[in-house]
Amino acid sequence: MPLAQPITPGVVDWTGENPGILLINDDGSFSAMALFFRVAWSPVGQGQVLLLYGSPRRSRANPDAPNLLFSDNTDLGHYLLDNFIGKLAAFRDAPAFDGLTHVSIQSVRSSGDPMGHRYTETITGEGHSVELVWEDLEKPRALELTPDQVGTGEHTMFTLLVPARQAQIIVNGRSLPGKLGKRVQAGFETTTAFLYFSETWVIPPDA
Amino acid sequence: MKRVSINPGRVDWSGENPGIYLKHEATDEDYCSLALFFRVVLSPHGRGHAAIVLAAPDEDRGWPDIPNFIITDNQRLMRWIVDGWVGKMPTFRGRAGLDHMTWLDLDSVHKRPGDIQSSYSETLRGSGITLEMKWLDMGPPIPVEVTRENSATGEHEMYSVFLEARAAEIIVNDTLLAGSVQSRQLFGRDLSTAFLAFSETWVSPAN
Repeated sequence: MPLAQPITPGVVDWTGENPGILLINDDGSFSAMALFFRVAWSPVGQGQVLLLYGSPRRSRANPDAPNLLFSDNTDLGHYLLDNFIGKLAAFRDAPAFDGLTHVSIQSVRSSGDPMGHRYTETITGEGHSVELVWEDLEKPRALELTPDQVGTGEHTMFTLLVPARQAQIIVNGRSLPGKLGKRVQAGFETTTAFLYFSETWVIPPDA
Repeated sequence: MKRVSINPGRVDWSGENPGIYLKHEATDEDYCSLALFFRVVLSPHGRGHAAIVLAAPDEDRGWPDIPNFIITDNQRLMRWIVDGWVGKMPTFRGRAGLDHMTWLDLDSVHKRPGDIQSSYSETLRGSGITLEMKWLDMGPPIPVEVTRENSATGEHEMYSVFLEARAAEIIVNDTLLAGSVQSRQLFGRDLSTAFLAFSETWVSPAN
């Protein structure tokens, strides 16, 4: 619930949407990972960015499961990579992090209904097409997380979580292998497929 | 007061909700022109866009007689938001123009973020209308979290990121609506009457 003081202390790092899908092998390792960003404000402007690890455990990926960073704002792509993604252990520690190919976005299209059954984001660019599909959606939940509860360990974060019980990452018409896993966020057990809307990352004054 | 990580309330809707409220003179008690834009990404009534324009807020007439209208691509959603939110906000409560505004169909929305610190605009077209809302000379982003007691509706909790605009324009079919941006007390600060509002989520408290 909001605190009584209406203005949250700190500096806004960025705000927007940040849905993702993490697929898992039978041994528990990640088989494919995707994080999409639709940024409404950042110090380097608005934009859309997709981080795709088709082959998380490879710095040089297969052409049919590539490791790509799509963006329609190059500065934003670099900003998120350096200041945000690079602080999330699951992404930073994957060999794919150091072998990303940068791709200019040609188009982004969202479809479906996040309070219905299915929602998608389709991103194209430089001959690649990536479709992210979330299905069997749960009700939205408003989250307010403190630095000890977020992946960066540095931010106060507000977001709207819509968990999905089914999801796919489809690259150039091919569904990447793997299944969804479980994760716990702020004591809440959820899945590794999630929509995050109206997400704001704030650097607290004492950070 | 300690944060509750997962808000126990019901998420109502989320999206962007910037506005422009203009007065003839700084000393005027009331506004002469009002405009609110909506980009709703999640609600029980689906997604959608809309703008409410009241060029004569207290007159019980609509378009094309005078520019009192709402233009939207999701009427059911906006009927719900007008009844449940806009009509309860002090700036709009009891306005004859709100009750008598004409409901128009929206064909397209186009935003021009440019350098978001200096200018931002939303252009809406449909039903023979071109509406342009322009925000100029923005301040830094302000993260807000508002309790029911402090919220504009008096009934909901709200999270958002506000950027005040020190100048703004409402243009309907190439005609600039009357008035200019003034200052007001908001969130305990002196802020302007034009604002961008990103990542805005409204929650009905659990009790």
